[in-house]
Amino acid sequence: MSTALPVPSASQLLSGFGALAFRTAESKLTYRLATVLSLIASGFAYCVYLLVWLAVYRENPNPGPIGRGAMTAYLVVAFMVNAILTLSLEFRFIQRVRMGLVGIDLLRPLGFLPFQMAQGVGDALVNLVFVVPIFGVGLFFVGGSLMPPTAGAAVLGAVSLLLGFVVNFGVSYLIVQASFVLQSGYGVIFTRAALHQIFSGLAAPLVMFPDGLRAAATFLPFRHVVETPVRFWLGMAGPSEAPLLLAEQAAWAVSLLFLGELVFRSVMRRHQVQGG
Amino acid sequence: MHFYLRLYLTALRARAEYRVDFLVGVLTATSMQLAAFAFFWIVTSHAPGLGGWSSGEVLALFGLTAMVLGLSEGLLNGIWWLPWYVIDGQLDRLLVYPVKSLVFVLLSRPELHSLGNFTAGAVTFGVAWSMMAAPTWALVLVPLWVVCGAVIYTAALVMIGSVLLKASGPWNTPMLSIHHLLNAARYPASVYPRWLNVLILFVLPFGAAIFFPVSFLRGDGSLFVALAAPPVAAAASAIAAFFVWELALRGYQSTGS
Repeated sequence: MSTALPVPSASQLLSGFGALAFRTAESKLTYRLATVLSLIASGFAYCVYLLVWLAVYRENPNPGPIGRGAMTAYLVVAFMVNAILTLSLEFRFIQRVRMGLVGIDLLRPLGFLPFQMAQGVGDALVNLVFVVPIFGVGLFFVGGSLMPPTAGAAVLGAVSLLLGFVVNFGVSYLIVQASFVLQSGYGVIFTRAALHQIFSGLAAPLVMFPDGLRAAATFLPFRHVVETPVRFWLGMAGPSEAPLLLAEQAAWAVSLLFLGELVFRSVMRRHQVQGG
Repeated sequence: MHFYLRLYLTALRARAEYRVDFLVGVLTATSMQLAAFAFFWIVTSHAPGLGGWSSGEVLALFGLTAMVLGLSEGLLNGIWWLPWYVIDGQLDRLLVYPVKSLVFVLLSRPELHSLGNFTAGAVTFGVAWSMMAAPTWALVLVPLWVVCGAVIYTAALVMIGSVLLKASGPWNTPMLSIHHLLNAARYPASVYPRWLNVLILFVLPFGAAIFFPVSFLRGDGSLFVALAAPPVAAAASAIAAFFVWELALRGYQSTGS
């Protein structure tokens, strides 16, 4: 005899989502030393970008449409946006595939996509906590140019950051599907990291890219994870550009989630859970 | 020596079993090199040179750095797995073997994707060489520089790994700092502030095996420094790494796994 579980209500799903996000944040805080060390390591790597750009400005004081001060502000804010939106989704998932725990995740009443997204929200919240003091240090060294020029820029930056989270999550969710198929997803994770590093605008705004590279970047979602929120926040993109840029971000977000769900359903038809 | 060679070949054979992993790994390593190269492309599209170095000379730094990374990953990569060896209790077992524990750890996990990094580095270095007026005979020195660089890089990883013996956890992020420091050697030392130069030329002297040789190749460094500095730095780094490792093992406490 079997008993069907009751379908959870919308409020139950919402509270489940919140609880999962909170628990993910708590578990990530358990390894706060690792999070801090990871931030320091990526901060150091990022310093190299910054120092190389400063050398470029010494060699050529007018290398493009962005001046030295604006570029410094861009790079510092881009580092922080990237740090906030760095999700541990794929690594966490690979571990669970290997241990066979993913079978439990597939049975959760919340659904697989919201389950993954809740964990992503938890990651981003913890990252935000660590980035706030870094922003203070950045303000001390770089000054007010890190702040949005108007309240409107701040609002647009915040909205764009939220959409950037969904775009980034959408890409991660596709990587998760690849891990279902390959069992080990390290290759796709690092390939994605390489694409993100080039095309997200992490190392420079797209306007500084050579033509070929910029053209490629405009056809990919990565720039909407870092470059678009930073441009809004710093006032480099004004309200006149907002409708188009935000619509592009939203379109990428929806398309990636939709594609992720399609792939997920197809993967589920043939997936076998590992015995652990 | 024969034992360590057999250990390495066995580990290599085990890794080669996962052919798809190997293929994806090589593609991944190559794409990471391409990502770094894309930044180089962006930067050099705005400045003809960096810190007084031409783009060809900077490219030589890129190539040498990638070969150093590739060789270390291909031969001595096991140190990256140290945190998991500690957590799983594998290190406890290893410590009662009649072998040099550090050598065993280093050789236990070669990464075949190193082939991607090494090949990308060799190709880049070849292109850079064709853009410089370096003497052809100097090519015979390249293996020496790459080996010395790999020893210095691995030694730095071992020293950080030794610290992780005290603070075990399922992460090796502190080692990433060393990886990023090595990547800093892709750009001329003159780009960096003095403290960073001291760090990468004298404290963790990757620069000795990368900057000094390329300085010689571009004609402003001496042959003596390019010949002597890399082996001296490699020997000093290796001795320091063995010393720190042994010191860390004295206070090692098992996780009880």
